[in-house]
Amino acid sequence: MPILEKISRLMNHAFIFVAGTFMVAMILITCANIVSRLVWVPVKGTFELMGFFGAVVTAFALGYTQAKKAHISVDILVNRFPKRVQKFLNGINSVICMIFFTLAGWQIAKLGNTLRTSGEVTETLRIIYYPFTYGVALGCFLLSLVLLVELAELFFSENGAT
Amino acid sequence: MDAALVGILGIIVLLIVLFILGMPVGFAMAVVGFCGFSYVISPQAALNMIATDLWSTFSKYGLTVIPLFILMGYLAFHAGIAERLYDAAYKWVGHWRGGLAIATIAADEMFAAICGSNTATAATMGAVALPQMNKYNYDTRLSTGTVVTGGTLGTVMPPSVVLIIIGLQTEQSIVKLFLAGILPAIVLGLLFVVTIIVLCRLYPDFGPAGPKTSLAEKLKSLLGVIEALTIFVLVIGGLYFGVFTPTEAGAAGVLITLVVSFSTRKLTWTGFIRSIGDTLKISCMVYMLVTGAIIFGRFLAVTRLPFMVADFAASLPVSPYVILVMVMAIYLLGGCFMDSLGFLVLTIPIFFPLGIALGFDPIWYAIILTMVTTMGAITPPVGVNIYVVKALAPDIKLGTIFKSVSFFLLACIGSIILLILFPQLALIIPNAMFD
Repeated sequence: MPILEKISRLMNHAFIFVAGTFMVAMILITCANIVSRLVWVPVKGTFELMGFFGAVVTAFALGYTQAKKAHISVDILVNRFPKRVQKFLNGINSVICMIFFTLAGWQIAKLGNTLRTSGEVTETLRIIYYPFTYGVALGCFLLSLVLLVELAELFFSENGAT
Repeated sequence: MDAALVGILGIIVLLIVLFILGMPVGFAMAVVGFCGFSYVISPQAALNMIATDLWSTFSKYGLTVIPLFILMGYLAFHAGIAERLYDAAYKWVGHWRGGLAIATIAADEMFAAICGSNTATAATMGAVALPQMNKYNYDTRLSTGTVVTGGTLGTVMPPSVVLIIIGLQTEQSIVKLFLAGILPAIVLGLLFVVTIIVLCRLYPDFGPAGPKTSLAEKLKSLLGVIEALTIFVLVIGGLYFGVFTPTEAGAAGVLITLVVSFSTRKLTWTGFIRSIGDTLKISCMVYMLVTGAIIFGRFLAVTRLPFMVADFAASLPVSPYVILVMVMAIYLLGGCFMDSLGFLVLTIPIFFPLGIALGFDPIWYAIILTMVTTMGAITPPVGVNIYVVKALAPDIKLGTIFKSVSFFLLACIGSIILLILFPQLALIIPNAMFD
């Protein structure tokens, strides 16, 4: 299990680096578009690229956000349960979310396949965009991996993550 | 089974998943929405729906405004802009009784104008103002309450993440919502100041007067306000005059904050990297909330429950304001038990159509919901700002903070009553700008 945890941690670091880079790119593209539009003509395709970059930023941060426990939850009642019950509920929680995000990742990858095989391109730049769709699927799979690691920790660590 | 009944069951299951399993709000809404949609339509349709919704929400241009405004706030925080705002306010009013608390509210109001989150505002001002108030022997019942409630101004004063989410979910103009938030935020801030003054009259030991400062010091401190003012004027001004869209305003705000912070050498590389990391975390959480709400909203829409609730409420033989009070009570109660932003996102698909069916102005109604939601952030037991301040001041008992906040709740209620009595408080600026 430490190997799985290490893989998850390394992947999250890599993904968050990519997400951060795309976020900086979003700022630069938008600002370039404002300036270019004021002095000459707008930068073509800003609207499309911003959306796709935003998708990468969010999807690649999914695992990291879960690992940092930054998704808001209502723990007012859960915290009052005995530790063993909390551990059990956390386990169910992780399993449900893991199944959901694996299904979501699989379906989004299928959507990416459809976009790839049909040769779908964007309206303005006329570029393929299925790689971004695959990126979102990858983000969902990484989140599932983080949830799997959390589940494994519940079983293998002494105290479990509560 | 009747579709509306399935919708009600879905809400009950969602509450169980939220409260018993403690599943993150965004995930819970998505999972329950997916299961409900599978039941009402078909599992294959539900699978297609989650793929399409996740992809289209994550890649939606309109939502890219969220990380940008969050980053702007974090950069401002790491660049120490809040400290200089507080210092300026402190130099001007710190020598009054309760002056440091008033300075905190004033700095909150100014910082909120460049930061879109109430927790970020509370955390920032808490870190800056609490040590100062402790130094001058302020009673913790005043100091903690000031910081906790002052943070709520971040939600109402533009740019605000809550207003952006409401705008995106209800397809209202974000620019109009931003404009509508300005006066209510100022009124709320003024009522907080009145509360501080009254408290210090009743209990003079709560906020002893600080040392006096010379006029030269006062004027010099104003330099600290210039950077925040520059950012606010350029960003919000650019938005209002149509120079850029809300998303562009966010990107421009980040760039302006970066230029201002790096040119004054106040922002370090570490501060910049931390800002990026924190922004990714918070914006991902917000994106997931919005996506979860959209998926849950799709399920509710196929059950037709929101429309039935809206039609039922609109047909009731009572004044729309009675229903409004009931809606506000639900928000207050909901805000007591779960994170206010999560509750807002969860309930907008039901309560926004209701407000429109009752004939309320959508912009005004959105501001009312925002104000009530902000109250949720400071009401026990799940007031998120309370825990932010508790983390900053671990020695202070939670009970003391709760008591301290209760003084300020009257000001929150007062501002909502004023907004109901005088809707123009919210509408005058957007109407003047757009009509």
